[in-house]
Amino acid sequence: MAFLDNSGDIILDAVLTDTGRYRLAKGDGSFRIVKFALGDDEIDYSLYNKADSRGSAYYDIEILSTPILESFTDNMSGLKSKLVSLPRNNLLYLPVVKINEINTNNKMHPDGAFFIASDEETESYFNDTVKQGVLLGTSVTLSQNHIRIDQGLDTTEISPINQIDSDLVETQYIVELDNRLGRIFSTNGNPAAVSYIDDDNIASYFFTLNTDNGFVQEIETNPDNLQQDQVIRGPRGTKMMFKIGSSLDLQTSAFLFERLGDTTSIVSDEGSQTFYYIDTTVRVTGATTGVRIDIPVRFIKKN
Amino acid sequence: MATVYKTLLNDDVVSTRTLLHESIPITGSIVSGTYSDDNIKNYSHGRFQSVYDYPYLSSSANHIFDISLGFAPSSPLSGTTAGHLEVNKKTQMYNQMAQVLVGHDTTGSILPFDEDGDILAGGTKLKECVFFSFSRLLVKDEIKKASVQMIVGTGSYATPFAGTKTLTDYGANNEYRVNSPAGEYGIMYSGSGTGPCGLVYYQAGLMVLTASVFGGGTQFLLSGSTDQGVQEALTGSSIQDFADAVRARIKDIDFNNTVELNSTVYFCRINHNEFNYSSNPTYLSESKIRVKETSIDSPASYVTTVGLYSADNELLATAKLSEPLKKTPENEMILRVRLDY
Repeated sequence: MAFLDNSGDIILDAVLTDTGRYRLAKGDGSFRIVKFALGDDEIDYSLYNKADSRGSAYYDIEILSTPILESFTDNMSGLKSKLVSLPRNNLLYLPVVKINEINTNNKMHPDGAFFIASDEETESYFNDTVKQGVLLGTSVTLSQNHIRIDQGLDTTEISPINQIDSDLVETQYIVELDNRLGRIFSTNGNPAAVSYIDDDNIASYFFTLNTDNGFVQEIETNPDNLQQDQVIRGPRGTKMMFKIGSSLDLQTSAFLFERLGDTTSIVSDEGSQTFYYIDTTVRVTGATTGVRIDIPVRFIKKN
Repeated sequence: MATVYKTLLNDDVVSTRTLLHESIPITGSIVSGTYSDDNIKNYSHGRFQSVYDYPYLSSSANHIFDISLGFAPSSPLSGTTAGHLEVNKKTQMYNQMAQVLVGHDTTGSILPFDEDGDILAGGTKLKECVFFSFSRLLVKDEIKKASVQMIVGTGSYATPFAGTKTLTDYGANNEYRVNSPAGEYGIMYSGSGTGPCGLVYYQAGLMVLTASVFGGGTQFLLSGSTDQGVQEALTGSSIQDFADAVRARIKDIDFNNTVELNSTVYFCRINHNEFNYSSNPTYLSESKIRVKETSIDSPASYVTTVGLYSADNELLATAKLSEPLKKTPENEMILRVRLDY
């Protein structure tokens, strides 16, 4: 008679993140663990080999031998890819988020990022002919340019006429941006309220469908032209739209540009000019489905 | 409804307290010899001497304990007499230690160290004492009872280990005192059947030994060209010189320390229908789940990390698995995540 396998109960030692230590030190009761999530940051699912001739037991042999890193204590990088609970097991497709650059106002700059002109002088270089992918960081309302993220099933195997399942519709988005550099605005130029700024100066903004209409809306499909203005090829969920304004520090000083960035030549209305720049990313995460995308952003300022 | 968080219920969180012990061996060669006393720090105030585990000017050095000396104002050695050195310092050191470790009587007078801890009964007092105060680095929360052993040489300064005594807190597991303002303490004995020779304060990390335990006859230390026994050295040498002589007689010090580890264990219960999908960018290829061929195939995900969150979704703690753990609708698991304080 063999022994029973008792390996199902696993003990793990946890480490506090920087935010955890900060809240514990504050002693105001803000350190209170109430829920958990699971992550799989190290896993590369493309290693799942359904063609392995040895059989299905070997499909994930590469994944299971993935070495695991020790815990990060940075709360921003500790758990990026979360596992998702869905009550059904018969799903073959899951939604993704993609940057929608179809419309001229939503295009990225040809250099591969959304540019934010950090002050009025810089904005003046991008008023006439060169506008694509340049957001006005100070005069936020004067330009139609904004960032648009679409959510849905990006597949040609299901027609976009079909509705996306209601439990796969992303209804809340979290936008994270370095608070030293900029702030989030709606497409009509209204500033968004910051929900939380962590110890690394990363500001989190929460936007909810049917509450923050200037930011989150359902994607409408033209029944006569199913792919018009769309990057999601299958059933569509919601879209997240926003502008980015520059912080007061970036508007009034080159200090952060000199410390965190560099200078480069950029083609403007007045030809190639030298600008300061800081490269960063804006992270958009679906609070319900966990999908996320990192959007490259470049803050620029006339040298 | 898709979710990425699972709420911990009251039954999923439990607090535990564990006592951990480490063995701390301090060999005599570290205390005297190996580093040619470069690991011994003396101070201009001359009230105690510090022992490090490496030359103390190195950033790698750790402070391990201090040695000092004192006698009670009621000791016959007290009082200024020609040829007596640092009498005031020695009585002040004794009083400082006594008022912290023994406390005061109802009139506010400092009580002397009592040989057997029975202060009310009077009895023999320890009036000439050598103090060993161990670093918090070694003691941690407290010294484990009945784990203390110190082997001292009783020979002359030339051959200190010609004879040895083994001092222990024998039987302290079952017999220790609690009438000190500095916590619990035990009584040190020199071999079985002998009388007490000192006290060890477990939470304070301090050992108080009667000076006479070091023996040495008339050759406890050499002052200039003059031999001094313990009694003569108590008055006729400085605290620093006396500490040097004591160090030369330490063959070994051993004790176990104690750490009170308070833990909270979070039982992360993962049911069959939970966490079977992933938001990992590589999980999908053109929105299709890579680990499934058809819709009737079971989904699968691979757990590597557990994150503990606040109500406002801030990541407060993380724990990692040693290898990926496959999660499918066919299995359930409980991950016990322990957070130590």
